[in-house]
Amino acid sequence: MRGLWAVLRKEALQMLRDRATLFFALFIPVFQLVLFGTIDSTVERVPTVVLDLSRTQESRALVDDLVNTSLFAIVGHVDSRAALRREIVAGHAQVGFEVPPDFARRRVAGESADFLILIDGSDSTVSSQTLAAATGLALTRSLEESMRAARLAAPPLRPHPVMLFNPDSRSANLLVPGLVAILITFSATILAAFAIVRERERGTLEQLMVTPVSPIAVVVGKLVPYLVLAYVQLTIILVLMTTVFRVPIHGSLTLLLALSVVYLCALLALGLLISARAKTQAEAIQIAMGIMMPSILLSGYIFPLASLPGPLRALSQIIPATHYIAISRGIVLRAATFHDLWEHVAALGAISAVLVAASARAFKKTMS
Amino acid sequence: MSAGGVPGIEARAISRDFGRFRALDRVSLTVPRGEIYGLLGPNGSGKSTLIRILCGLLAPSEGAGSVDGLDVATAAEAIRRRIGYVPQRFSLYEDLSVEENLDFFSAVYGLAGRRRIERREWAIELTALAPYRERLAGKLSGGWKQRLSLAAALMHEPRVLFLDEPTAGIDPVARRELWNLLFALAGEGVTMLVTTHYMDEAERCGTVAYLYLSQLLVAGRPDELLALPEVTPAGTRRVEAACAQGAAAVMSAARALAYVIEVTIFGNALHLLVGGGVDDAAIAADLERASGARVEVRPIAPTLEDVFVRLTRAQQEASNNRSGRAA
Repeated sequence: MRGLWAVLRKEALQMLRDRATLFFALFIPVFQLVLFGTIDSTVERVPTVVLDLSRTQESRALVDDLVNTSLFAIVGHVDSRAALRREIVAGHAQVGFEVPPDFARRRVAGESADFLILIDGSDSTVSSQTLAAATGLALTRSLEESMRAARLAAPPLRPHPVMLFNPDSRSANLLVPGLVAILITFSATILAAFAIVRERERGTLEQLMVTPVSPIAVVVGKLVPYLVLAYVQLTIILVLMTTVFRVPIHGSLTLLLALSVVYLCALLALGLLISARAKTQAEAIQIAMGIMMPSILLSGYIFPLASLPGPLRALSQIIPATHYIAISRGIVLRAATFHDLWEHVAALGAISAVLVAASARAFKKTMS
Repeated sequence: MSAGGVPGIEARAISRDFGRFRALDRVSLTVPRGEIYGLLGPNGSGKSTLIRILCGLLAPSEGAGSVDGLDVATAAEAIRRRIGYVPQRFSLYEDLSVEENLDFFSAVYGLAGRRRIERREWAIELTALAPYRERLAGKLSGGWKQRLSLAAALMHEPRVLFLDEPTAGIDPVARRELWNLLFALAGEGVTMLVTTHYMDEAERCGTVAYLYLSQLLVAGRPDELLALPEVTPAGTRRVEAACAQGAAAVMSAARALAYVIEVTIFGNALHLLVGGGVDDAAIAADLERASGARVEVRPIAPTLEDVFVRLTRAQQEASNNRSGRAA
């Protein structure tokens, strides 16, 4: 490890002097966190048009009931089914209600009264939630009336749902802990890849290699300052998460920070592997993106792992982000302990060890 | 090897292949301790490859070498402590100051405490970098960057110094000062291998070698090379034809003469390699008749440039003949 201290000192000095990298490392993640963190995937006030051919007290009561779910917002009334369709095609509305002319008569007569719900299925989140809300409302009303007619005091089945860990179903609570993982994934990998590639691109690596400094000292000395920087970044993100987004950390912060070191080691090793292949910084960015985009898609951050087809689900298990996201969500949301998470911890540890070994090998090869 | 014992640098039939391209072909050379050895040759002829092999940055495909008596293949680690390397391209940290760069390299070479400060100050004084101590290396001009590279390569008192085109792109004054520095170091027993494109620099070297198409064509003291029979073949001599109206006007006239073998322009004069028993007055008369300009002719000695031009041509002809026969 000859020369380790000298390399460390030099690298820290260069890092602190490099405004662009510091900005990239400290400000961009905060900006992304604010951007992604404020997006809420809960569906509300979906623009809706109404074709009321009945024009009665009964039909207006139905529309009011729908609006009261706060899922629908009436943006207009039309007078033909063609017009209803047109509004949806034009994108002015995502849902259309059509109440037929005999609606009130059939209601009063006690017959079953039909109404039409037209849903724009192109956005699956919106369509599934509006469908559930509209049919749910109709079923509830039907049940109430049937019970009244049969003089029943209580329905035959009564569910008692209890939401654990995220009682308000806030999507920020699920997204932000995952986002923490995504943000440090990008910056730590790219920073690490750049640290080596930059020296190669500028020719300084060759100058360094004719000195008696040991190659391991070069790698460790270069990576440690970036490990510290990534750690500072992680801390900032966690502070923002708990204060601005009010996502409390239910589990042990110490455990989260300790396991983050294991994850950061995997990322820095991945960055080092990239730097062994890339001749220029532009090339490093391309390789990094090529590896990270699919791994984020498969990590369970965007699509639930359960929705992945078999082979992809197997693949997702060798992606370090998958396990770190599981660990981060477990600790933050469910107060999971080391004992609860041991499978993910073991997997993450194994992947990190493999990556570190592979990068050390690749680096040794490029140096000789 | 003379009384000096172990040479400072030795290459024994070193070859290096990159894929199917042979960058060095059985190159051998010996540099006695304390000598400045000049390595010349066109770009791509293998100069940098040879230096990189001797520094331990690249392994030779064949052959062996030693630096300060240590084997390049087995003692790379020990060699690194004894050599300094100034690469062609400035390779220190542009975002660190002069002093920070020197501190870094002295630390990497294991200098510490008072010794480190002593050696740093010695290098700063030697290269006259004191006024630029705090300046970022990237903000220095070419000549000062080169001095900084040299300072960084000297603090650990290397026994052998490799300089790859140390004077490329720097002004003549800085060039001369750098060479004075190199002579001072040679006086202290430092062995140096220097590549250059400048003939005046080559003439200052103890030994000069010429690499061409990956092969070492010739090596020797500058005066030995000038006296080589191939440079001025038997029955030929060299003359200078000076023309006040400009040499270009006389150029075509000179080329048309049957006894002129080679023509090169030097400012307002032509350097001619002439055959036969023609005397100076006859050449002058022929040129004046053909060009209508006033010409003065006098005999001259060959330059190192003449040496390399002749040797390159001879080599080209030889390889043309070989490939001609093969086809």
